[in-house]
Amino acid sequence: MAEEFSVIGKNLPRKDAREKVTGEVKFVADIQLPRMLHVQFLRSPYAHAKITKIDTSRAEMLPGVKCVLTHKNTPKVHPLDKFEFLLDETVHVAGEEVAAVAAETEEIAKEALKLIDVEYEVLPAVFDAEEAIKPDAPVVHVEHGSNLYFGLEKRTDKSYGPKEVRAPRTRADGYLPLEVGDVDKGFAEADAIIEGRYESPMQACVSPMPRAVICQWNGNNLNCWADSQVPQWINKDLARCLGLPQSSVRVMNTTSTVGGYGAKTPEKVAIINALIAKKTGRPVKAVYTREEEFVATHHRPSYVGYEKIGVKKDGTITAMHHRMIGNFGRDFFSATEIMSASAAATAGTLYMYQNLKFEGCVAITNIPDTGPMNGLGDPEAGFIVERAVDEAAEAIGMDPVEFRLKNCARYGSRSVSRRDVLGLSHDELELRPDWVNWGIVGPDFDSLPECIKIARDKSGWKKWKGWKTPVEVNGTKRKGIGIAIGMHMSCFRLYSAIIKMNWDGTANVLSSAAEIGQGIRTAMAQVVAETLGIGYEDVEILLGDSAATPEGWGCIASGGTSSAIPAAWHAAKEIKRKLFDIAAPRLGVTPGELEAKNRMIYVKYKPEKCISIAEACLRGYQVTGAAVNPSPDSIIDEKTGKVMNTYACVATIAEVEVDTETGKLDVLKLSSAHDCGRAINPQMVENQIDMGLVQANGYGRSEEMIFDKDSGVMLNPDLLDYKLMTILDMPKMDDMQDSFVEYPSAWGAFGSKGFSETGATSGAPAIANAVYNAIGVRIRGEHITPDAILEALGK
Amino acid sequence: MAVSISLIVNGEEHRVEIEPWWSLAHVLREELQLTGTKIMCNNGACGSCTVLMDGQAVSSCVKLAVLAEGKNITTIEGLAELETGELHPIQEAFIKYSGMQCGTCTPGMILTAKALLDENPTPTEDEVRGALAGNLCRCGTYKRITKCILAAADMMKGGR
Repeated sequence: MAEEFSVIGKNLPRKDAREKVTGEVKFVADIQLPRMLHVQFLRSPYAHAKITKIDTSRAEMLPGVKCVLTHKNTPKVHPLDKFEFLLDETVHVAGEEVAAVAAETEEIAKEALKLIDVEYEVLPAVFDAEEAIKPDAPVVHVEHGSNLYFGLEKRTDKSYGPKEVRAPRTRADGYLPLEVGDVDKGFAEADAIIEGRYESPMQACVSPMPRAVICQWNGNNLNCWADSQVPQWINKDLARCLGLPQSSVRVMNTTSTVGGYGAKTPEKVAIINALIAKKTGRPVKAVYTREEEFVATHHRPSYVGYEKIGVKKDGTITAMHHRMIGNFGRDFFSATEIMSASAAATAGTLYMYQNLKFEGCVAITNIPDTGPMNGLGDPEAGFIVERAVDEAAEAIGMDPVEFRLKNCARYGSRSVSRRDVLGLSHDELELRPDWVNWGIVGPDFDSLPECIKIARDKSGWKKWKGWKTPVEVNGTKRKGIGIAIGMHMSCFRLYSAIIKMNWDGTANVLSSAAEIGQGIRTAMAQVVAETLGIGYEDVEILLGDSAATPEGWGCIASGGTSSAIPAAWHAAKEIKRKLFDIAAPRLGVTPGELEAKNRMIYVKYKPEKCISIAEACLRGYQVTGAAVNPSPDSIIDEKTGKVMNTYACVATIAEVEVDTETGKLDVLKLSSAHDCGRAINPQMVENQIDMGLVQANGYGRSEEMIFDKDSGVMLNPDLLDYKLMTILDMPKMDDMQDSFVEYPSAWGAFGSKGFSETGATSGAPAIANAVYNAIGVRIRGEHITPDAILEALGK
Repeated sequence: MAVSISLIVNGEEHRVEIEPWWSLAHVLREELQLTGTKIMCNNGACGSCTVLMDGQAVSSCVKLAVLAEGKNITTIEGLAELETGELHPIQEAFIKYSGMQCGTCTPGMILTAKALLDENPTPTEDEVRGALAGNLCRCGTYKRITKCILAAADMMKGGR
């Protein structure tokens, strides 16, 4: 180990640990303000209907009711990225807001909802993606004119409205294409071709505590407490919708956000609350119910994938053709990002190939909204592609681990970024529709074969007995093992940080990130302390206050370690330069001769000549640093001269036991190896890996959003019937073999990279492939449930 | 029709005027401002709102507050030593071994663990898993939570 670190790489206690174990932590739902009103929503029972009459007079007369909003008395504004108005005359999903009531208590508000008289004209609806894109399907958004979507609205004119601009590279049939080589030629060269239709399911984000928003006006300024992973976006959206300057809207979430996993993004509720707070002159709080968290937030879209893969006998992939149709529901957030991520990473980069064709389509239907969820696009595509790749390996009788080792991406192999797929330049404002800027993955991606080997060794892959052969049979129970690999963008976004040094040599960091449980406050403090040569306890991080923290993206797209921490790292380096400039003349040397450690600034090789960092801060009077994460998505590889993209990767091997009599599936062991660039806090890295694996288990096995086929009403919007994985559904401690490899990234602080979302990508297909080897029948549908297993076995 | 009841929470007696259908979780959070008790599912499916009632772990979102009258209730706020701020060994273990992420399930996990360790000070991993079977963690922190509880059991062998 060449480098010695004092702070990073250590399992320091989380900055928020004490407040979380004592119950002191205040989530937004926990905040009460004096004279606060409570908001409840009336929601549509129909999946698609026009409100022909709405009468709120009886509700308004109920004592304690202070305000009722409907489409009639609400400004016609579109919440960020949304087709529909804040409150719309037409409802497009069962559960869409029809009216909002604010009252002295939650109970009065609920009572008032029953007194609102509504008449609907029910309109035809469509729930299935493949049905929705047929020409005669009912159109969900009439003004849009089609259930096909590829929009780049906010990117092109910064209006943040639902202005339609077709993605420049979208084909006339609504598919986003990505093509290299000649797939027909590739398939002609193949010794074996597999083809199939696969499904990956819709998955609910299930934030542990339903979202909460509080709005309070202070003169013409708005204070908003939002349980959100992107407070800065809510700041901009509130400002736009209310016609205020951003500086007058203070969005706060300074302690912690309840886990959002992607769903805690801009809030229609915040805008409605702000309007009610203005009308009533009172603080207003809305807390969703668990049911609302299911029907009125966004979730991972389901995909249907048509796969065709050609292989030679020696295991070479000759061609891959992926056609994916996503069911994106009534409305969505980041649909282009999700489908283009599927194209760029799982389809475009994960394997080495000569000939590739990807076609991705975003379908609009009358089911609840979709958007980013842990892994954004790669679990969706990965559950499809990794089952198909397994079949391709079997078609030529090659061990699936060997097949992946032979074909997986590594340094120098072809790669494309999400922006390239869309035809966007790096600032995302300029369109470049005519070409795709193909690049490579960098040296850090040699970690992928390494991850496969580690997973192989930790899983005891030697016990593999060949295709569709159980590794052990015990009565009706059969054990099987299977592998899948995955990857996800380690995304580079605009994040920024300001660091203020205090006279005692401690530092306050103001960052545009958001703490959502991943541990960003902890990891960022470790990096800043390491950089400045001060203690971990000397650094405090302030996040999520739009009036105090700089512009940036919050907590999305694995941007914390990849972008928010580098911003703080560069700001800390700036401070270090300033402190050295202050110290150098006092020590009679040049700044280049100094180093900082243990809260002191030393002359290298003459450590007795030193001054304390506290003294340098005092002498400097006010020492601050500020930086924007400088790294673009892609940089030029010095060795090859090619454009290099950044990704993180994973390999997972699952061992399962299936009872062929009952269909019961037990996941006995998961051996998962991840590339995290460098582990800033190894315990937190392990927790983030486990988050991916637990959610991936639910994704592939049990988490099913069930909609009534005729009405589109969700039938299981509660945690008794929507099944999350419990501790008993997961392997025991020693059988959760989490490993991480540290192949330093060229981008992040001390080689670290955003890796947290890769965990969600390979778990579900690894389990599916293991089940196949146990029972000998492929399951290509949405879930590997006991029912699906029995059906596959013909029982 | 409101009723007046007396609740003994963390050793302190509170008289509260409540509606008879209010859950204990609601009363703790909204009336006593003890928001350390978190509500995730609100139908007894997830264990986030776990409190101890006469030492037993119960889901306070499906327990009527009126039925808690006269019982000794411990919430997460009542676990550390009030005067010294000294944490309970389970809390210390959760900090040391990072047994949390977003923190919503943490109070319920810790109180469930306390009920387990009070009854069985030297549990096996399977016994810990069995005790936590009703506590959901959407952040998937099960492995390190198990580790924390086993570590706490070890720490408590010294009689703490």
